[in-house]
Amino acid sequence: MRVHVVEDDAGVSDSLALILRNIGHDVVSHRDAESLFKGPVPEAGDTVIVDLSLPGIPGAQLVRWLLNLAAPPRVVVITGQSQGFIDHQLRGLMPDGVMRKPLDVDAIARVLPHA
Amino acid sequence: MKDFASPPASLPTSPETAPHPPTVSEARLLSVLDTAADGIIVIDEHARILIFNKACERMFGISAAEAVGQNVKLVMPTEYARQHDAYVGSYIRTGVKKIIGIGREVQGRHADGTVFPLELSVGEAATPDGRQFIGILRDLRPRKESEQRLADLQSELVHLARVSAIDEMGAAIAHELNQPLTALMLYLQAIRRAHSRGVDIVTVVGDILDKAAGEAERAGHIIQRMRQFVEKRDPERHARALDPLIDEAIDLTLLGQRHRIRIEREAGQNLPPVSVDPVQVQQIVVNLVRNAIEAAAGAPDPAIRIRTLASDGSVRLEVQDNGPGIAPEALPKLFEAFASSKRRGMGLGLAISRTIAQNHGGDLLVDPGGNGRGACFTLVLPAAPVPDEVG
Repeated sequence: MRVHVVEDDAGVSDSLALILRNIGHDVVSHRDAESLFKGPVPEAGDTVIVDLSLPGIPGAQLVRWLLNLAAPPRVVVITGQSQGFIDHQLRGLMPDGVMRKPLDVDAIARVLPHA
Repeated sequence: MKDFASPPASLPTSPETAPHPPTVSEARLLSVLDTAADGIIVIDEHARILIFNKACERMFGISAAEAVGQNVKLVMPTEYARQHDAYVGSYIRTGVKKIIGIGREVQGRHADGTVFPLELSVGEAATPDGRQFIGILRDLRPRKESEQRLADLQSELVHLARVSAIDEMGAAIAHELNQPLTALMLYLQAIRRAHSRGVDIVTVVGDILDKAAGEAERAGHIIQRMRQFVEKRDPERHARALDPLIDEAIDLTLLGQRHRIRIEREAGQNLPPVSVDPVQVQQIVVNLVRNAIEAAAGAPDPAIRIRTLASDGSVRLEVQDNGPGIAPEALPKLFEAFASSKRRGMGLGLAISRTIAQNHGGDLLVDPGGNGRGACFTLVLPAAPVPDEVG
């Protein structure tokens, strides 16, 4: 399965890509929402992992855009922010998963369909 | 020249040393001298003590009977004593006043050897027996103690405000720590998984471990930066370039910020160094930048401009936001402690920042903006007189 990772932190993005490939996924890394928009639109069978705190277009706005696609991919939010911030950002949005940092491989495996 | 034991007739002396019963006016003067809360010493041209009042007896632990007739060096620490004769001689020869008519802080020495600060004012009287000098002395220790207490309290408060700032930034800092911890965890788990599945990872494991170590180091730096900021230290002064201090403080403030702010940074050219307590100055910067970020948050394109420039004998730091400006009704209380309009924090930030600036011989000024302009805070610090360490 193809997994898009939209995360501006180089360390998190790199390690996430490593573990996802390790699990057996195809990984496409983007450092912000803008760079994801430049490529092909994620498809229904894909998963997009979105960091809530992105430079430029906010993570929540990207989540909204993805969920409103005609054939939305699976959307998983990752964040290191407080619950209050998450609730405020995601009000009205129902992503397929929300994972709080620090992440571990089991939590990731749980929210992703098996490769 | 008169004998030591017989003081000149022009001024009375303590009753126990007086060779004859005092006259009414002498008795009155003696009683005034002994009632005075300040120490009073009268000396002649040769610096011999003629009068040593009760307050002096207490201050120096020497009785008037012992003191009268001796050189006034008796109550001075050695380094002063050595020069005192020269001072008196120089004044008598040249008439140039170094202390007469002017108050000055000097050091006294108690009979037990304790050296303590004194405020000394000296007057001069021409008498038939020659010139006499009248010294009025005030023990400065109680004042010094209360000044010290005040300084201690202020430094406690400055520290408290710093701890409070970090406390308010706690969630953001936790987020910032989460990044390297996440990366570290995933790198290690990637190795673990590969290993347990018997995958050959020999070629990549070194690289992954290096990255993992890098992330652990990054987490360590965050802790270190925070610790430097909150740890309690005595105030200090170092001649430093302002810009690197500002950049560090901006980094600290931006820890875990949600990225929705544009920072324009303009560093001045050839700025003179400033003599500062580096952490206290960073405390001001953190406070101003946090306020600016908060003020700009509602703007369509939130941005702050942080710039430094030299301006006659001082270095200025300007922090300008593009928020709505400061409401006129908030302005009078802006720098007052506990008067904050914010929900969070103690409302100490600006009050403490201005106090720190003023303790550095500088100031913190505000242009409130409004009508489409954001607020601009200016920290003014005097340029350091010399480029060396100043204590």
